[in-house]
Amino acid sequence: MKTANKLLALLLALSMIFALSACGGSTSQPATPASPATPATPATPAAPATPAAPAAGEIVINFPSIWVGTDSKAAYMAELIEKFNAENAGSIKVVVEEQTDYQAYRDKIRTTITTGSAPDLCILDTTFDIKAYAESGKFMDLTPYLQQGWGNDFAEGTFDAWSVDGHTFILPFESAVFTPIYNKTILTAAGWDHFPATYDEFFQMAADVKAAGYNVMGQMAGDNAWSSMLWYSLIVEAIGGKDVYANGLSDPAFVQAATVLKQMYDYTFDGAVSATAGDVNGHFIGRDTAIYLNGPWWIANFYKEDNAVDGKLLADECEVAVNPSYAGGKGQGGLVTTVQGFLAAAKQDDPNKEAAVVKFLQYMTDPEHVSELALSSGAMFFVKYTPSPETSEISQKVTAVANDASFTILHVNGAFPTAFSTEFPAAVSALVLGEVDEQGFVDMLQTAIDNAA
Amino acid sequence: MKLTRSDRSPLIAFMAPALAIMLVFFVIPVIYVIVVSFLKWNGISAAKFANVQNFVKLFRDKAFVRSVTNNIIWALVAGFIQVPLAMVMAIILSRKPKGWKFFRTVYFFPQVISGIALATLWRAIYSADTGLLNGLLRAIGLGEHAKDWLGTTQTAFPAVLIYWVFYVGYYMVIMMADISTIDSAYYEAATLDGASDFQQAIYITIPLIKKTSLLTCVTLASVLGLRQFEQVYMLTNGGPANTTSTMVLYMYKKMQDTNYGMASATAAILIVVGVVFIVCIRALFTGGERTGTVRKGARK
Repeated sequence: MKTANKLLALLLALSMIFALSACGGSTSQPATPASPATPATPATPAAPATPAAPAAGEIVINFPSIWVGTDSKAAYMAELIEKFNAENAGSIKVVVEEQTDYQAYRDKIRTTITTGSAPDLCILDTTFDIKAYAESGKFMDLTPYLQQGWGNDFAEGTFDAWSVDGHTFILPFESAVFTPIYNKTILTAAGWDHFPATYDEFFQMAADVKAAGYNVMGQMAGDNAWSSMLWYSLIVEAIGGKDVYANGLSDPAFVQAATVLKQMYDYTFDGAVSATAGDVNGHFIGRDTAIYLNGPWWIANFYKEDNAVDGKLLADECEVAVNPSYAGGKGQGGLVTTVQGFLAAAKQDDPNKEAAVVKFLQYMTDPEHVSELALSSGAMFFVKYTPSPETSEISQKVTAVANDASFTILHVNGAFPTAFSTEFPAAVSALVLGEVDEQGFVDMLQTAIDNAA
Repeated sequence: MKLTRSDRSPLIAFMAPALAIMLVFFVIPVIYVIVVSFLKWNGISAAKFANVQNFVKLFRDKAFVRSVTNNIIWALVAGFIQVPLAMVMAIILSRKPKGWKFFRTVYFFPQVISGIALATLWRAIYSADTGLLNGLLRAIGLGEHAKDWLGTTQTAFPAVLIYWVFYVGYYMVIMMADISTIDSAYYEAATLDGASDFQQAIYITIPLIKKTSLLTCVTLASVLGLRQFEQVYMLTNGGPANTTSTMVLYMYKKMQDTNYGMASATAAILIVVGVVFIVCIRALFTGGERTGTVRKGARK
């Protein structure tokens, strides 16, 4: 009896172990896309990709993408991928894993890379860390393909800053410039027929706009404090000029810029300290805020009928401005820019799969396709393309501002390690609420960078 | 009962799967976290030994100290305000007043809604310009008290904490289940002796659940308080000025910075704080005795 009991116990234990090991078994089909992780703050419910099983011999390219959902590039990207898949039916299939939340997407890509492998194809936007990614040895060296003529499709010098020992592992793709766009109707109501050329004039205009019952600009210290970080970049550029990042945060321009940023919070809407990008966008679309600042990818929203009031498009009321200059500042005529999206492909052992990934990358960055992508989204790219004659007026004006710039500097988000951006919301809210002074604000950011170093 | 040698094999066999799971999913990760907490590692480049630098940096960082403080407050509020509230509700509903099933469902209902959804809802309630709370204050003539509840250092943490305290349903049903096992003879005898409902709760119910479901709920609530993440992330992301940050959110931000050494050091400290909390709670409730009571003749 005892022996029987022992045997039964052993059998039970073994069956449980087998059951568990079955649960943890790995798939032999690495090309099958993983279920997308639930985004923290989805813009729209993400429809998980449910691809059909790949045909025998078909190479599947797994592409976790943020250009989905309500992203301005989503519609054309979906069309482009569908077209590519149709043209390569039976041999290559690009499978998109949809991620609608940027932070969730970054978390996923970083975790995937940290834990040993990179996705077949992905989008990176952490500018400062790009070199570390490039040096990791986990990404495909695109240099030989670029040297075979593909590189000629890109603007001069595109790869210089992002290459490692002359090798390009990460491809700068989407660019961005940041320039204010203002609501003419509101400025006119406040007695202004032009956008201020200096920050002194800017605050005179701000007082008038506020007196007329409007908010001047959207600020936000909640979430990632994106709008405030953009304004800070513009002010830093105006004060510090093109070499402002040469000495890190020790340049006095950062403290001076903090003073200006803090002053701007007197002219924004109530609750800006806890506000998010949705609040900033909502106020501008709602026509109660005069000035909007974001990247060119947002331009498509100016033309959406959803954002029209009394049949009047937002674009009809808006005008593109240039960053005001700062009295005694070094940054007149400068422009804040960044690389908004890099394309990166995992290093492949299978030469056929490598060729397939490169084929798709070349297809995606084809100037004709990029021209269409730019037209549909308003976004800007490092690929040399002929802008469509149908390009929106706002896009054309933003491009003109970019072309007229005497120099460019990176957005602070890209000029400093990620720790800077992570700490920025806390630092700006501490500054605005009087928990720290301007020097304390910069010290908070410096401490965050030092801790991560 | 003394174990004989022949008893050991089946015991080991039965325990092996659970031990294997514990080893793979708990012991090894904890060891890994502790090892990484002594490294400087960005997750991409090679890791370097950093001695205790990560811990030194943590304790010098005001945001971390604030996070630990917030977590301790959260765990104490959970254990000593939220659970007692749940206990009061459980005792009242266990007396089966009219409509008790309805109220039990109403109080439990929020537990089936995700924390993210609740946080989003409360974010809308606390919103400075369009929020329900400020709207209500304005409607009743207290508009001067309207404020950016989540954007002011004095109100942000209480605002995040207060709404959460009232979600008592989970602990309430655990304690209701326990109360239902108390022998009804105790209450009948107390009633004959003239004890009021309140006295019965104080002298019969609470002492009998103290070492079982009450201890369980206080432990659970405190541990969940120490692990707070999604509500804070969704409502304030730790702001303003890090006043609502918690240890897990702090750890998450360090991971965003690809500072895995400090993130792991935070995790190691969180484990220590959690262990200290559990030991203290058990000592407080049991005075070192073993827990568990045997009851017969459950109340009908």
